[in-house]
Amino acid sequence: MLKMHKVRKSFRTDTIETHALRDFNLEVKEGEFIAVTGPSGSGKTTFLNIAGLLEAHSGGQYLLDGDDVSGLNDRQRSRLRNEKIGFIFQGFNLIPDLNLFDNIDVPLRYRGFKASERRRRIDKVLQQVGLAARAKYLPSQLSGGQQQRIAIARALAGEPRFLLADEPTGNLDSLMARQVMELLELVNDWGTTIVMVTHDPDLARRAERNIQIVDGQVADLEYHANPAALSA
Amino acid sequence: MLAYYMVLALRSLQRTPILSALMVAAIAVGVGAAMTTLTLNYMMSRNALAHKDDVLYAVQLDSWGPDESAEGPYQMPDQLSYRDAKALLRSDIPQRQVAMHRWGATLTRENSEQSPLQAEIRVSTRDFFPLFDIPFLYGNRWEQSADESPARQVVLSQAMNERLFNGDNSVGQPVNLNGEVFTVIGVLKHWNPSPKVYDLINGAFKDSEALYIPFGLHHQLQIYTWGNYDAWWNEIPKNYQDFLNSHLVWTQYWVELKDAEQKKAYEHFLTAYIKQQKAEGLYPRPLKFRLSRPSEWLRVNEVLADDDRMLGWLALAFLLVCVINATALLLVKFLRKAPEMGIRRALGASRNAVFSQHLIESGCIGLLGGIGGILLAIVGLARLRQLQMGSLDQIASMDWVMMSAAIVLALIASILAGLYPAWRISHSSSSAYLKTQ
Ligand SMILES: Nc1ncnc2c1ncn2[C@@H]1O[C@H](COP(=O)(O)OP(=O)(O)O)[C@@H](O)[C@H]1O
Ligand SMILES: [Mg+2]
Repeated sequence: MLKMHKVRKSFRTDTIETHALRDFNLEVKEGEFIAVTGPSGSGKTTFLNIAGLLEAHSGGQYLLDGDDVSGLNDRQRSRLRNEKIGFIFQGFNLIPDLNLFDNIDVPLRYRGFKASERRRRIDKVLQQVGLAARAKYLPSQLSGGQQQRIAIARALAGEPRFLLADEPTGNLDSLMARQVMELLELVNDWGTTIVMVTHDPDLARRAERNIQIVDGQVADLEYHANPAALSA
Repeated sequence: MLAYYMVLALRSLQRTPILSALMVAAIAVGVGAAMTTLTLNYMMSRNALAHKDDVLYAVQLDSWGPDESAEGPYQMPDQLSYRDAKALLRSDIPQRQVAMHRWGATLTRENSEQSPLQAEIRVSTRDFFPLFDIPFLYGNRWEQSADESPARQVVLSQAMNERLFNGDNSVGQPVNLNGEVFTVIGVLKHWNPSPKVYDLINGAFKDSEALYIPFGLHHQLQIYTWGNYDAWWNEIPKNYQDFLNSHLVWTQYWVELKDAEQKKAYEHFLTAYIKQQKAEGLYPRPLKFRLSRPSEWLRVNEVLADDDRMLGWLALAFLLVCVINATALLLVKFLRKAPEMGIRRALGASRNAVFSQHLIESGCIGLLGGIGGILLAIVGLARLRQLQMGSLDQIASMDWVMMSAAIVLALIASILAGLYPAWRISHSSSSAYLKTQ
């Protein structure tokens, strides 16, 4: 599904150059559920953004479904992002002045579906996240957990094969976090590959595989066992 | 997608009503000012004879004195002397030809209580009507003989016929001009070209005359001109016959020449005529004449003055200032929406899609601004009409061409204003706004 080999990403500001990712190697197989942990500022979000084609990497090789994406233009990248990838963020990132129906409609519009197909899919995902009755509500009228479920519904509406979640439960209390996690597990059961960044060790443990990012690189799991090495 | 972007644009405008109103106002004021002056310029540069532009010619002869040239177009007098006009009328080369001038008289209706009124009159040969394509409502023009010998016949404008006869067919009815009884032989359909291309010398934006009488009446009624006249030396006529034979120029002359051959023949005729005049000791200047098409005649008489043109450019410059203002406002508005664009990008919107969405939003603002601009221009033109009392009535109004031009101008202005802001937002880093909150 996803293969990164020696991927680099650096950000240049006026004064400093930050190497957010360096020699980043990772392979994700179809249908996996991977939890990503790591200290803040280690490059987890940068990794997700590159994986989701939201940002271009500065070096190395990134294969998505076996295709090298580095040569693609913005249009092609946007098309792939729209068709294959779903994003879920910590801050939910619903568009505040669109109601839930119209929020879920956004990726489907860019996909170019007819109105009837869009409606069918929106109704379906609203059912799946259990919020069908609230289609006309605005995001601000929902609780945090409900908003995140809508964000997941929006990510699922295009039936992506690859779901990228950046601390999806970070803003939720533990009960709501568990509900969201259960929803993600269900989605994974349907066959969607999921990469989830999280700070919560309990949630991470529920994933099939754990990786840790330290200083822009995937750390060895043995490394993980030794907290002293982390801070070095 | 277009419909989707329009819906998004309208929602976005509703969300920031004050900012939106300011942007619409900026475009509206700029377009309003531009359209006010451009409408004036456009109306001033119309040519009511455009459809006959390749066959009609205003005739100028250089009959001026030896010392200095006349002040008219091409350094020639813009009118002919009565004597020259009578001579040219003898040519049978042109399809049609007209000698004419402005006049006026006191008009009363026979056996009527209506109070007398001062009427604008055109004294003309009979070809005036077909040459300028003037349609008749009732009756007809006068016979050929009336151009030579007196016939007390009159053609009324539609407006005058309405005033005197309530619009009824008045052919055969008597009217009284300076105490002389005339018979109505025809009534024109409404006809009021602006600019008044057939007589630019006596006010390019005056209304056309209310009455038309034959050219054969000069001797009998001792008609002097009510229009401009000029002479190259101080000649004071001793009597009316002397006035008609003088160097004074006061007659306008037009010919209709159907093709190049006929034009060539007529030029030969004019050359021969001037040579003959020179042989008689007249026409002291080098042999010179000019045939000007209506479009050329409008141009050389500077109906649309350089000042007016300048004003047009100034108004466009003002529009540019408004566009720059709108750009600044759009930048504020669009960058405020950057987080939303980050989300849309993550969900599959390309930079082009984001760019189009914002350009269409600018276009919607332009459309509203254009409508506002038309309203402002209508108000502006109405103010101008009040200030100028009458003579601008015809030109200070917007036709559908100018209305569409206003919308197009507003769209161009708003899209220009939106280009940079739309580019900025579509090229801003989307991921930066997706960071946790
Ligand atoms: N757009 C950016 N411009 C400059 N530096 C950035 C940008 N995004 C991330 N960084 C830097 O890259 C590093 C990794 O950031 P990030 O991937 O957000 O870490 P994490 O998600 O693990 O907290 C940090 O040092 C951060 O400051
Ligand atoms: Mg992060």
